[in-house]
Amino acid sequence: MSSAGFTSPFGANSNPFGSNRVDTGAMHRVIEEDENDIVTSPTTPNFGSGAAFRGPFGADSAYDPPTAGLRSPPPNPEGYPHQYNFARRTSVSAESLKPVADTYDNWTPPSHPKSPEQLERLKHAIGGNFLFSHLDDEQSAQILGALVEKPIPTKGIKVIIQGDAGDFFYVVEEGSFDVYVNPTGALQVGPDGKGQLVGKIEAGGSFGELALMYGAPRAATVISAEPHCTLWALDRVTFRRILMESTFARRRMYESFLEEVPLLSSLTPYERSKIADALESQKFPPGHTIIREGDPGHSFFLLESGEAVAYRKGNETPVKHYKKGDFFGELALLNDAPRAASVVSQTEVKVATLGKSAFQRLLGPVEGIMRRTKYVGVKSGVEEMDPLQVS
Amino acid sequence: MDNGEAPLDLASRKLTLSDFQKVRTLGTGTFARVVLVRPAHGTEEDRSRVYALKMLRKTEVIKLKQLDHVRHERRILSDVSGHPFITNFVASFSDHDFLYLLLDYIPGGELFTYLRKYRRFDEDMARFYAAEIVLVLEYLHEQQGGIAYRDMKPENLLLDAEGHIKLVDFGFAKRLGNNDDEHAVETYTLCGTPEYLAPEVIHNKGHTTAVDWWALGILIYEFLTGYPPFWHQNPIEIYKQIVEKPVVFPHDPPISPAAQDIIRQLCTVDRSRRLGNISGGAARVKAHPFFNGVDWDATIQQRQRGPIIPPVRYPGDAQCFDIYPEEDATRDEYTDDMAARYDDYFTDF
Repeated sequence: MSSAGFTSPFGANSNPFGSNRVDTGAMHRVIEEDENDIVTSPTTPNFGSGAAFRGPFGADSAYDPPTAGLRSPPPNPEGYPHQYNFARRTSVSAESLKPVADTYDNWTPPSHPKSPEQLERLKHAIGGNFLFSHLDDEQSAQILGALVEKPIPTKGIKVIIQGDAGDFFYVVEEGSFDVYVNPTGALQVGPDGKGQLVGKIEAGGSFGELALMYGAPRAATVISAEPHCTLWALDRVTFRRILMESTFARRRMYESFLEEVPLLSSLTPYERSKIADALESQKFPPGHTIIREGDPGHSFFLLESGEAVAYRKGNETPVKHYKKGDFFGELALLNDAPRAASVVSQTEVKVATLGKSAFQRLLGPVEGIMRRTKYVGVKSGVEEMDPLQVS
Repeated sequence: MDNGEAPLDLASRKLTLSDFQKVRTLGTGTFARVVLVRPAHGTEEDRSRVYALKMLRKTEVIKLKQLDHVRHERRILSDVSGHPFITNFVASFSDHDFLYLLLDYIPGGELFTYLRKYRRFDEDMARFYAAEIVLVLEYLHEQQGGIAYRDMKPENLLLDAEGHIKLVDFGFAKRLGNNDDEHAVETYTLCGTPEYLAPEVIHNKGHTTAVDWWALGILIYEFLTGYPPFWHQNPIEIYKQIVEKPVVFPHDPPISPAAQDIIRQLCTVDRSRRLGNISGGAARVKAHPFFNGVDWDATIQQRQRGPIIPPVRYPGDAQCFDIYPEEDATRDEYTDDMAARYDDYFTDF
């Protein structure tokens, strides 16, 4: 049965108070229309515009709020953010993404070759952008590889159209582009349909970044301003997938490393996952002293890649070798005793590290975790395995 | 239509739209519409009842790639139903074009409406609502095995006739599990409301139930000031602020040190420091000085009425809800092709 057969006994829009608040429907339309305001945002807040802000109740309401006299708040309320929009906010959502390991399909990030100069320019172009600035080296390299060249041969080509769904982010490699905004929120037909020229984007600039988050309608129309322009394009699913896959893989790796730490063997998988979430990655060159014998111990380390060795004072022969998946310094989680050995990187190493304070913030004192019943016979294991144990 | 005395069996999965009479629309979203309905037949008692019927148009669900989300919504709603601060799930059914969720009708309207009407809440009011929300989050996160709600905002909080909170719209809720099976405890799909998104969602770092604690901080801020801490006309600028800027408080109205502190602790970018996510979970939130004086047993038992008593004159009174257009703008056909491809996804309804 379709909704056509679904009629209201009182007729559409029936309102016992017969108010004109039906006008406010404009405030509650779908995402697309709300988002159209993105750049132009000519919408001064509807707040105070009478009908839109009459409150929910008719005059016969028994309701007598403290601010009853305030039928319509001032049009420019002091203290509110400039042009704050008081309307209902619409939820947003991207397409659901599941990591490869979950779905068993095959996915590798696309890679389009670029010259070293092109890579340098691209790095510079996206380096300051908050959507890229937090990426690690591997993620950055994959993102840069995934950007695909898009030649724009002639002047006047509309690369993105205001109001259309956006799926791509663009970096300008060569040429320039004009940005137009139509106050209606979408490109219209006719000579003035693209609206007003509000800006120009030159080589090294970029546009359309909201499309990297979710499929919002474009806030402007962007048109090539000269012939022979070149763009680099990146689509949302590729971008989000690169970030997701590497984060997912790293977290599962941390969790599997953590499973091997006897001191933490009684953690539930959920707790391990919380710890994995809080681990911080650090890189060190070969020959770097990661922890020094005699120093107070504050954090523990997992070796993500590379190799390291432990030395004790007065002994030039390493007392232990560490490789990927090994850990050291975990007794720091237990007490502040000085480090019983130094650990030095032999190759370039990547470690994941967690401080005692972060551990305790997340899971409480380690002693409590050790006291769990599952923690049996582990203490001797730590002593055997870890040269950093104070003897 | 049958006006016989046979009782209406809501537990039956054979409900159809013709079992209900539409009163009016209570709210609209991108692919859903919530309408106030009465049973069209059954005993006199049946017919005196009212419900909220959420109608999800299949074509829009598919177009907006929300298949997983509507399935989670149906599952989770029925799992969490019965909590005092969560809207009660009654039944679900479907027809050729729509999926339906039949819910208890909550007559007080959205907390959003009252917040905008009052401009802001004083700290006692904010504390009352925040306390009820803390108990909902404690329940979802800790007693329901890790359900992340993911869309906390005043628009999704209704008031019942006594002025208590009811959390509605579980469209983005997701059971993250506790990792005892093979599944990850974190999830990666960006969803929520721009002003309320946690930094880890924006950065696609994988997110957990910790996003709800972030959103609670934003919510308390908005209660106390009338607007969220991060705002701009351009959503990208909101996201930039969320990941880069600290929460700052206005001079007017003055926000108490305890309120500022709980907001800062909830809106902490580093999840290993975020209140609610750190050791102790919700208990630590409840112990924060902002909640000093809250009787948590009295709160869960709803021993006190809320600070706002909605002007509800009779059980089916809808005057607390805004008026919406009764017709959908779009009406794409749900074709046989689509039915063949997608109907398997909807079998839970």
